[in-house]
Amino acid sequence: MKHRIRGAVLPALLTALLAVASNAAHADRLDDIKKAGVLRVAAFDSNPPFGFVDPKDNQIVGLDVDYARAVAKSLGVKLEVQPTNPANRIAFLKSGKVDLVFANFTITDERKKEVDFSTPYFASGTQFIAKKGTLKSPDQLNSLRIGADKGTTNEQQVRAKYPNATIVAYDDTPFAFAALRTGNVQAITQDGPKLVALLARVPDKANYEIPAFTISNDYEGVGVPKGEARLLDVVNATLTHIEADGEAAQIYDKWFGPKSAAPLPRLFKIGDPQKSS
Amino acid sequence: MSPFDWLSTLRYLLLGRFPAGPLGGVALTIVLSVTSATLAATIGLAGGVALAMTRGIAHLALMAVVAFFRAIPVLMLIFWTFFLMPILLHVDVPGLATVVCALALIGGAYLSHSVHAGIVSIGKGQLEAALSLGLTSWQALREVILPQAVRVMMPSFVNQCVSLVKDTSLAYIVGVPEFTFLANQLNNRLMVYPAQIFLFVGFVYLVLCGALQWFANTLLGKDAR
Amino acid sequence: MHTWLEPKYFAWLEQGFVFTLALCVCTGLCATLSGFVLAIARTAQSAAIARAASLYVFVFRNSPLLVQLLFWYFGAAALLPSNWMTWLNTPHAATWGPVALRWPSFELFAGWIGLTCYTTAFVGEEFRAGMRGVSRAQEHAAAALGMGRYTTLRHVILPQALRIATPPLAGQYMNLVKNSSLTMAIGVAELSYMSRQVDTETFKTFQAFGIATAFYVLSIAVIEVALVVWQRTGSRALQRGRA
Repeated sequence: MKHRIRGAVLPALLTALLAVASNAAHADRLDDIKKAGVLRVAAFDSNPPFGFVDPKDNQIVGLDVDYARAVAKSLGVKLEVQPTNPANRIAFLKSGKVDLVFANFTITDERKKEVDFSTPYFASGTQFIAKKGTLKSPDQLNSLRIGADKGTTNEQQVRAKYPNATIVAYDDTPFAFAALRTGNVQAITQDGPKLVALLARVPDKANYEIPAFTISNDYEGVGVPKGEARLLDVVNATLTHIEADGEAAQIYDKWFGPKSAAPLPRLFKIGDPQKSS
Repeated sequence: MSPFDWLSTLRYLLLGRFPAGPLGGVALTIVLSVTSATLAATIGLAGGVALAMTRGIAHLALMAVVAFFRAIPVLMLIFWTFFLMPILLHVDVPGLATVVCALALIGGAYLSHSVHAGIVSIGKGQLEAALSLGLTSWQALREVILPQAVRVMMPSFVNQCVSLVKDTSLAYIVGVPEFTFLANQLNNRLMVYPAQIFLFVGFVYLVLCGALQWFANTLLGKDAR
Repeated sequence: MHTWLEPKYFAWLEQGFVFTLALCVCTGLCATLSGFVLAIARTAQSAAIARAASLYVFVFRNSPLLVQLLFWYFGAAALLPSNWMTWLNTPHAATWGPVALRWPSFELFAGWIGLTCYTTAFVGEEFRAGMRGVSRAQEHAAAALGMGRYTTLRHVILPQALRIATPPLAGQYMNLVKNSSLTMAIGVAELSYMSRQVDTETFKTFQAFGIATAFYVLSIAVIEVALVVWQRTGSRALQRGRA
């Protein structure tokens, strides 16, 4: 009797596991989102103004979060934000812990093999912050210790273009900046707008500067799981729609407009043609 | 920051965004520790008993598995369960579950080792005496061996629990909003108080682990020493 | 998924492994020495020293290593005066003939300090347990023979204590190898850090983590084997009356 029960348990478990697995493989992500009534999005939690924690109510807010909210609204579901750093974005998306990535996610060909990207909604270039007067031209980079964020295109670009530079990769930009402050690295690299926003919020900003040169032309888009065509279409449609009715411009204005902490003119609109790097 | 800001920040560190979001902070650390410890204890008891009762190939295989989980760094196992388990099993596993899984497996492996050592130290005589009195293997295990083995295992279990509480801080690497993660978030926001913030974090863990050990010592008395 | 890693990335992982080993060896040496001193301090006659040592053990054993490392790298760096930081960050080299020792980067230095302080607490406790494992009769016999505390320690207690403590000590060295993986959080380019780097660049998660895990398990296995060898030779030597 005991053997019969024990004998039945294992096949039952296997069948259940297979059923779950096959269900997970066939259901469309868009349907899952609509059924669950919630859109899970990965956004930064320490990178103002793209994604950061609002000290008043400890919720994650920012440019990326507002765009995500627009998509959630067009789907008619709630928005749930998973805080992430650059290194974990892709893992969250590929392992199904989030449905979309709204985290200043640069579009590259290698990444396109792993995830799908929406139409770009932001443009930037890789720049640097250094202590005032230390970094004047890109050639100096080969002799410096440079702080970067793990899992970012900035890190890969600097490594490719300046192979003699020593790159120390940290989990997120504020760590890299702390290392810059204590002198562990002589410069840190990130997207220009992020650095501008970071510097504007730093208490001792007078000691640092962002040299005017950039070493790349990048476009950021929404990360979508590979093969989820319907979800990708909804995201693209939403982005085009909010550009057309001015909501995108309003969102940009809220975080980068003249009244914000780090004003930057809006040079790229959703749907603009892309320059090649 | 005004005193009111300090209070709301403290509340954030203790509870996370709850109830306006998932549980986080110290509360989540405690939940993670308790869940992992319970699972680890179950796995440990089962594993230790299995190690003691099996022979030959099964025993060797089990020893290899236990040795593997005692040799792998916790961080690497968290990477495995977080990054690869969902892809391999095609199941959506929430971030919390992957961390609990990793911690329970490692804790379970250490405890299996201790329980096995405890059972072996009780001696075959006890098992044989119980069997000769007419008890079945399972009854002998439950009534005679395990109570003694658990008593021997207790100090090791308390140590494992303390390790578990400390290891929950590694969940920070994979974005689980427990205490260390939130403290880092706060440090990233404030930027100029790293020493104070990390000293505070260390202090809270000291309190947690110290309380755990004190609790274990008073509850279990001399047996726990 | 089952394509092999390019040699460039495999070389990264090897570099990381060498770093891990170097870090562990340096930390192991320092922690063993300090742990020894700590154990003596714990059993000191002076109550103040004993209490201070107890406090050290309590603080460093009950806080997570990750938090300690973050403190040393970010917190301590913020607390130290800025000219110290400048000195610590400029490359220095000491050359003796063909051997040139270069001052390590700050994250390696902070990682080493953090790991050493943490491991010292555990090693100290193992030494102390070893000393307690020597029966008191030995101490009394030595006193009866007229030996002072220092002589007793050196010739009677410590040799036996060290023999008792060696297996748990090996366990702590294995823990050290595993704990070194946490230094990746402060930017030390050791094995876990490299495996993450390789993963983010090549997306070959399985291979990157698989190779790193294999390296770790290999190191642990080597320490385990060394322990078994020591135990065999140790007890055999005892049986032959040579120990």
